[in-house]
Amino acid sequence: MTTSGPAIDLRDVTKTFGSQMAVSHLDLSIPRGALYGFIGPNGAGKTTSIRMIMSILFPDSGELTVLGHKSALEAKDKIGYLPEERGVYRKMRVGAYLTYIAKLKGVPEKGLAERIEAFVARVGLAGTEGKRCEELSKGMLQKIQFVAAIIHEPELLILDEPFSGLDPVSTRLLREQILAEHARGATILFSTHVMQQAEEICDHVVMIHRGLKVLDDPVSSIHHRYNPRALVLEPLDPSADLARVRALPEVESCTAHDGAYDVELRAGIDPAGAIARIAGALPLARIEVKRPRLEDVFVQLVTDGAQSAEATSALRAELAGQAEQVTT
Amino acid sequence: MSKVLLIALREFVSTVFTKAFIIGLLIFPAIVGVLAMVGPRLFGPDRNFAISGELAVVDLTGKVTPELRAALTKGTPAAALADAIRIARGEAAGGDVLSALGVTPKLTLVERPAGADLEQEKAWLGVVDKDSPHLALAVIHPNAVEPKPGEKALGSYDLYVPPKQDTRVEIGVHQAVREAVIGARLKVRGLDRAEVNDLTTVPRVRSVTVSANAEQGTVSGLDFVLPIAFMFLLFMGVMGSGQGLLTTTIEEKSSRVIEVLLSAVSPMELMAGKLIGHMAISLLGMSLYLGMGLAVLTSFSLFGLLNFALVVYLLLFFVIAFFTIGSLMMAVGAAVNDLREAQSLMMPMTLILIAPWILWMPISRNPDSTLAVVVSFLPPLNSFGMMLRLSSSHPPPFWQVWLSIGCGVAGVVGAVWIAAKVFKIGLLMFGKPPDFATLVRWIRAA
Repeated sequence: MTTSGPAIDLRDVTKTFGSQMAVSHLDLSIPRGALYGFIGPNGAGKTTSIRMIMSILFPDSGELTVLGHKSALEAKDKIGYLPEERGVYRKMRVGAYLTYIAKLKGVPEKGLAERIEAFVARVGLAGTEGKRCEELSKGMLQKIQFVAAIIHEPELLILDEPFSGLDPVSTRLLREQILAEHARGATILFSTHVMQQAEEICDHVVMIHRGLKVLDDPVSSIHHRYNPRALVLEPLDPSADLARVRALPEVESCTAHDGAYDVELRAGIDPAGAIARIAGALPLARIEVKRPRLEDVFVQLVTDGAQSAEATSALRAELAGQAEQVTT
Repeated sequence: MSKVLLIALREFVSTVFTKAFIIGLLIFPAIVGVLAMVGPRLFGPDRNFAISGELAVVDLTGKVTPELRAALTKGTPAAALADAIRIARGEAAGGDVLSALGVTPKLTLVERPAGADLEQEKAWLGVVDKDSPHLALAVIHPNAVEPKPGEKALGSYDLYVPPKQDTRVEIGVHQAVREAVIGARLKVRGLDRAEVNDLTTVPRVRSVTVSANAEQGTVSGLDFVLPIAFMFLLFMGVMGSGQGLLTTTIEEKSSRVIEVLLSAVSPMELMAGKLIGHMAISLLGMSLYLGMGLAVLTSFSLFGLLNFALVVYLLLFFVIAFFTIGSLMMAVGAAVNDLREAQSLMMPMTLILIAPWILWMPISRNPDSTLAVVVSFLPPLNSFGMMLRLSSSHPPPFWQVWLSIGCGVAGVVGAVWIAAKVFKIGLLMFGKPPDFATLVRWIRAA
């Protein structure tokens, strides 16, 4: 085992279930100490990839190393894992459950009770050690499950959809804990289909769609590379006619959006010059370059402009976790 | 402590220290205790039962009816003699017959002429009389007392009874008519009935079992009770924990705690830990029941009758049966989403567990039969078959015991191999439960 190589290294990893390709020729290298976002819509292959990293499933082909080991089985005590499908022994008391998991993760008996007390307090659930798991709410249980994933202070922390079902306050608390683990030095792989969450936390993002990796870049680089040549403007007079803006040669389209207007520029147009021309054409309350969102980047990468507006809309809804609402 | 032992310890503690387990463990001895107290009253002969009613007789000899009349007339020497004969015959048969007969029949004799119309007499049986029911019609053959000229063989009698007649009544009537025929035969030959009875009665004695160290009165039925006792212990140990393995695996899968566990241990470690934990639970239960059984034997001074090697074999065959059936039940638990879905896959396991109860009687009665020998080598039934044979009155030869152990170990290896493959794949499979074809595909794919 080496301590200098990447925390996770996947090379040409493929996994199929029957005729369905779950993960296809995936290459992924996550350096130690990094905070990676693993994003993609539901069914993209994120959980299958994570299960292969955890040696819960095994690839059909390709190679992988985890913390320098050929299999996560050899390094399970150094890995913290919060699965997407997570549960607890409902009749067990919180303290006993955490003790059991901690011991399975190799935490010594000495000082374990104090450690559990401190970790439970960290997620705002001090004093719940004596309660049965079934007495806790869903949100409280998720925090306990998070504690179970970090109780042994792992070198590598893999979180599969950690915020699903959490209220905003709990989401913020958990986000702080994830950042605290990162600050401690843990490598974190954070999987989500809600791209905004990854955008807020991660410094590097890997996008996966239908088993294929479509993006593997630092967030800052994505913002730079995927500048959408788009502006957002707000006229001083909300009822102003934007025909003059649409008539400008730099402008491809101008559409109303949430009380403002999204202006798409033609290819090769410098945004700074376009801003000056638009400001001259119409009195403005605000105009700025539109910052690319991961969701936009994903949609652009996946659709490549070829899909219909309905398909793009459905994909966006799916990414926002609203696919069901769209179809109904 | 290794992860396997940690898992085993959790399984043990989370099962044993529950009210349900403690109650479940104590409920069987409680039921046995209650049955021991009230059983004889519930299932023993009805002491209030009496044969009471009318017996019609067509005596073609004219010599049997007087005997019957005398025996059924209370307070007469003939009636006293009839009672003495009943008791003597019952004791000679080991008491069972006397129990079946109950008290002396209160039969009212209805004497019919020798030339009576038989069909008309049969119709009499169908006439309902609640105060004095018509119990039977006996037709004594003309040669029942003396043979026909030129013949040696004696005749008997025909007995006609109404529909749905109580078997005990029929036995009582048979007994009465039979003794009357014998009485008539003796009288014709000038023999004294009481003397003949004395000469032909030999009281049954209780045998003495002679062992290397001691002699004591033989406990009848031990060869019958011992196999069922050992098979029950084996069954209870395997069935109880097998069911526990099934339900806890389903619970861990359906509550989604399984993936958390698999992030800490391998599927094989999880499987091994659960098996060891539940085996310890079974051993605890078996030890308790075995201890109680030994205490009962000791209290009746019968401890010496138990071959202690049987206890060692019980443990050995329990481990074999437990690993075979327990691992397969755990695989079923891993393959399904809930207990309802497990029912179809459990059918073969249920048949395996029912088989020993079906085979118990033929094997314990004839422990050297071809059936007994084959079953004792056939996993997963071999443990049950061999324990029945070992605890029977004719234990098998030593080489057969060890061959059975060898077959059992091979069965364990096969069962654990299959179970591990299904367990590994099934744990993370949700949705449609697999059929047998899918299970076979999993086994081949894993």
